[in-house]
Amino acid sequence: MTQLQIPIQNATLKNGLRVVIVPDTTAPVVTVGVYYKIGFRLEPQGRSGFAHLFEHMMFQGSENAPKMQHIKLINSSGGVLNGSTMYDVTNYYEAVPSNALERVLWLEADRMRALKVDEENLRNQRDVVKEEVRVNVLNQPYGGFPWLDMPPVAFRNWANAHNFYGDFADLDAASLVDVQKFFRTYYVPNNAVLLMLGDLEPGEGFALAEKYFAPIPAGAAPPFADPAEPPQKEERRGYVEEKFGTLPAMAIGYVMPPRRTADWHAMALLDQALHGGRAGRIHRELVLEKQIAVEADGGIDDIFGYNGPAQMTTRILHKPEYSAETTLAAFDEVLREVREKGVTEDELQHLKVKWRSDYYSTLEGGRGGYMPRYGLMHLLACFTLFDNEPQLVNTILDGFLAVKREEVQAAAQKYLRPKNRAIVFRTPVKSDAKEAA
Amino acid sequence: MATQTAEFTYAVPRLTPERAVTWPKRTRAQFANGLQVVLAEARAIPKFHGELYLRAGNAHVVDRAPGLAEMTATVVRTGTSQRASRQIEEDLRRLGADLGTYAGQDTSAISFAGLSEFAKPILELVNELAREASFPEAEFERERRQKLEEVKLERTSPGFLATERLRKVLFGAHPYAQISPSEAQVSAYKREDLRDVYREIYTPGNALFMLVGDFDPEAMMKAVQGVFGKWEGKKPVEKKATAPPKLRGRRVFLVHNPGSVQTQIVAGCHAITRKHPDWLRLGLTNSLYGGAFNSRLVMNIREDKGYTYSPRSAVHPLRQHGYFSVSAAVRNDVVAASLTEMFYEMDKLRSIPVPDAELADAQNYLTGVFSMGLATQDGLLSQFSTVELNELPADYLETYREKVRSFTFADLLAAARKYFDSANMQIVLVGDRAQIEEQAVLFGEVEVCDTQGNPLE
Repeated sequence: MTQLQIPIQNATLKNGLRVVIVPDTTAPVVTVGVYYKIGFRLEPQGRSGFAHLFEHMMFQGSENAPKMQHIKLINSSGGVLNGSTMYDVTNYYEAVPSNALERVLWLEADRMRALKVDEENLRNQRDVVKEEVRVNVLNQPYGGFPWLDMPPVAFRNWANAHNFYGDFADLDAASLVDVQKFFRTYYVPNNAVLLMLGDLEPGEGFALAEKYFAPIPAGAAPPFADPAEPPQKEERRGYVEEKFGTLPAMAIGYVMPPRRTADWHAMALLDQALHGGRAGRIHRELVLEKQIAVEADGGIDDIFGYNGPAQMTTRILHKPEYSAETTLAAFDEVLREVREKGVTEDELQHLKVKWRSDYYSTLEGGRGGYMPRYGLMHLLACFTLFDNEPQLVNTILDGFLAVKREEVQAAAQKYLRPKNRAIVFRTPVKSDAKEAA
Repeated sequence: MATQTAEFTYAVPRLTPERAVTWPKRTRAQFANGLQVVLAEARAIPKFHGELYLRAGNAHVVDRAPGLAEMTATVVRTGTSQRASRQIEEDLRRLGADLGTYAGQDTSAISFAGLSEFAKPILELVNELAREASFPEAEFERERRQKLEEVKLERTSPGFLATERLRKVLFGAHPYAQISPSEAQVSAYKREDLRDVYREIYTPGNALFMLVGDFDPEAMMKAVQGVFGKWEGKKPVEKKATAPPKLRGRRVFLVHNPGSVQTQIVAGCHAITRKHPDWLRLGLTNSLYGGAFNSRLVMNIREDKGYTYSPRSAVHPLRQHGYFSVSAAVRNDVVAASLTEMFYEMDKLRSIPVPDAELADAQNYLTGVFSMGLATQDGLLSQFSTVELNELPADYLETYREKVRSFTFADLLAAARKYFDSANMQIVLVGDRAQIEEQAVLFGEVEVCDTQGNPLE
């Protein structure tokens, strides 16, 4: 296998804004992203859900592009746009025909420089966000399971443990003052990276970045709360009612090693061994062999994109005739085996091939095709904001492909222990669950 | 020709000249056994994406049982004359490949992706699944029990319940009315039924093989011929389906889902297939109505009124009949208000010509988004598949943008009048009856059922 050679160019403007460009003429399309290093993990206490609500506000108008014009400008240029709030970053991105590049940069710069929103915009988006929470969580079978159920069980530091979508009371309490303060604190050029991927000349891209973003003044370095967790000494368990679904469910989460350590590389392959589709040991044993579960899947969420405590989580929906204890015992058996025997040399080689193949698809893939190169953009952004090293995209694979058998087993023994895990049981209210005979 | 947005007079940068959109060349062949093959090069990553389509799905075999083609597809991957289930899954991983087997109303398919360096063994595995699936008894039994739990579970999803009801109402005795089997129907599935479906549908005379990725098309064509050339079997005989009912007047179908804290609205009417000459006109009209973020409906009920997070409209192109639908999940106290706005925006497009600037914006949107598919192997595969499966003209992709840009306000007005059949829309509401029935009756005669489809008083 030859080394990846994605032509990444990067620079930093005087105001601290990092700029990353990857030319690629496959299609006459450019993808532009702005990532801010602030996610829901570090939103203010008493304002749960605020980072996400704020993301909505960034579409509500800026000084030269008032409400509705923002969306209209991108769509009418032949492009699509969206944003998303994650643990440690929030992103805004557009894919447009390459002749609209300058327009997109103008728009992103306008809202980085001068967000302009009013009470009516805030009321409107608060309503929209509540419907988002209802459609994704409160009115859905297994809504928010386990991404909203797990944090309060697994973690003790408020940063990691609170409701990231937000309690409605907190959403109601959010004010315009909060919006402007959050904007001034975190949405400064020195806390962001601008990315351009696709059909552009790098020189042109840097010149346009300079033209539109350089005039934005730098802000004070944002204060970041410490997301560190106190050491965990015991297995943690929590219980949640399932209002609509028919099957009992559980999620088991293990705290992961920090990014870019030897353990992290080994855990990634171990994750592939456990959760790699129908060949993964957990699905194979619980769904295909023992036939206890209807669904059993999971993995390390956004392995390149976390900057604080993170978990590998398995999500299981099991047949009502099996008890939670029986199901958990079957799961534990899979983990015991990997702790005791590790993986075979053949298996490790296969895991590496699949990991490499998946990595290429991550780089190419775009959120179901509508956002070309989204995956590459996301990795570049995280490697820039967390590591100051976008070139890692070309070399990061090496660490995974060099993992040895004994390292996989050692990682299993070190991390996949009961004292390093939390379990959430989500049980149907209308359960007709019976104990297994 | 790029059109400027009219309302902006200040600093917005103009669009620079448009760069050419060039679709990759397709290499085609039809083998002596009837298999149709389309290959295209796309070398951004050292992989390929492929799809083996069989031109028959659940609708074709619905007379035997709903969902039977899908169940057949599910069991296809669980064993062949040469490999057991576990071997298949481990081989896929060893080859860095992903594979899915599924069936929709009109097609069954084996979908796959993998590393170019392992193209040959991956093709051989796909070939084996298409020709030598063995339907092991134990695997069938497991998948059937699995399916039983899934059909119970899907009845708890508001989105599923809404679509299911709408399809029943719109299609009546036509096969498209059935989107999923009942528990009793799944219990009655027989392994022999699956084998019959497999023998009938999985034939080269019925198949289309598509591959997009990092390979040399000429060499790949030889490899495909080598692997699939000896496959035999004829196209199944097409069946005549009962016509869908003619529906007059608005009616409301309320699916009572106790405890709902939101109402899923979907309203629909019959429309057209992709082969119809009005297809692109209607697509443009739909994108302006509710098919894009800056569409009228989204701006109205989301960005102005905050009733919903996720409003949208779409034209669904099934092979024999298309239909149009508009949907939104809204808070319970604004069900009537949301429906009123949905109809208002529909009726407005039927009554008042679209202003030139808005038309130009929508044309730019649709033609721009169309090119996004060029950037990924998967995107290309999907665009090429659309052309082939629907037997669209060979220059469909190349002429699409030009055609969309040729439409005038009169085309949109005509399309809205003909296909946004406001007076005869069938409305489905999935929610808590006690919270929404008073609003439901404002829009027509209300029929109430539970989540199992049983009528309620």
